[in-house]
Amino acid sequence: MQITNFEELEIGDDLPEESPDVSMATVTAFCHAAKHVFERFIDHEAAKKEGFPAAIVPGIMSQGLLASMIHRWAPGSTILEIDTVFRGSLLVDSKITMTGAVTDIDEDERTVELDLAIVAEDGRTGVIGTAQVQVVS
Amino acid sequence: MAQPMENENTRPELSAVREQWVGVEFDWTTFEMSAESMVAWAKACGETDPRFVDPSHSDFQAHPGFTTHCMSGRVFPKEFPQIGGGFGIDGGKRVEVHAPIRPGETLTATTTIADIFEKTGRSGTMIFIVQRMEFRNDADQLVSTVDWKMIKKAEWA
Repeated sequence: MQITNFEELEIGDDLPEESPDVSMATVTAFCHAAKHVFERFIDHEAAKKEGFPAAIVPGIMSQGLLASMIHRWAPGSTILEIDTVFRGSLLVDSKITMTGAVTDIDEDERTVELDLAIVAEDGRTGVIGTAQVQVVS
Repeated sequence: MAQPMENENTRPELSAVREQWVGVEFDWTTFEMSAESMVAWAKACGETDPRFVDPSHSDFQAHPGFTTHCMSGRVFPKEFPQIGGGFGIDGGKRVEVHAPIRPGETLTATTTIADIFEKTGRSGTMIFIVQRMEFRNDADQLVSTVDWKMIKKAEWA
């Protein structure tokens, strides 16, 4: 559910779960935009030769996916800070799930603190993070 | 302003490295911000907000983490000591957004060693080296700070 009223936010509120597109086509497009065109991101067989189970989603893309989720949850919001820890590989062409929850609210600054995570298809947590977001609604 | 990270039980050897190198500025690079790359990045990240995917929008700007792909010319300063084992792994990125980044801007980035510390967990003791890049626009306004946490296995003689 999108935020429609800042005053109704509560600590513990969950952001809607999302499963973003991490297909090979989309990850490859990201790599070209980021000028990070490395085989471990865009070629399953090459990634296996490097010891990965398959091609992996770039860490900086996973952060971008979380940012987009925040913008959908809080339209018009401004992300002031986003901090992500890359704990494990997220595989290209797999189903990954993004979650978030409100952990603090500053009513004077109209900002919220979020906990963020991305879970891989096999249940491993690939990314954890936090964000500080200024909400306009 | 980004703050240094907390340190946990830093060994004397690491304390000396920290003392000498934290705060040392060692790279200066410029990056051109193009609308095409900004849109492609945002769309690949599943962005739908027109502020990030529509260059004709009055508030069009780069996605919050766009500067994370801008790499400095050097990973470490010249003469930086070999600490920890191997090349290290990318432990994560922290981005502070200070102001919108607009297309056509040339950002000037300065790179410093922001922190060096160690932590001990289930995998043993790991050394964290934090490289900080600060990006300023044509008006010399700080627009973005990116902290890159490189993690290396602690190896001590």
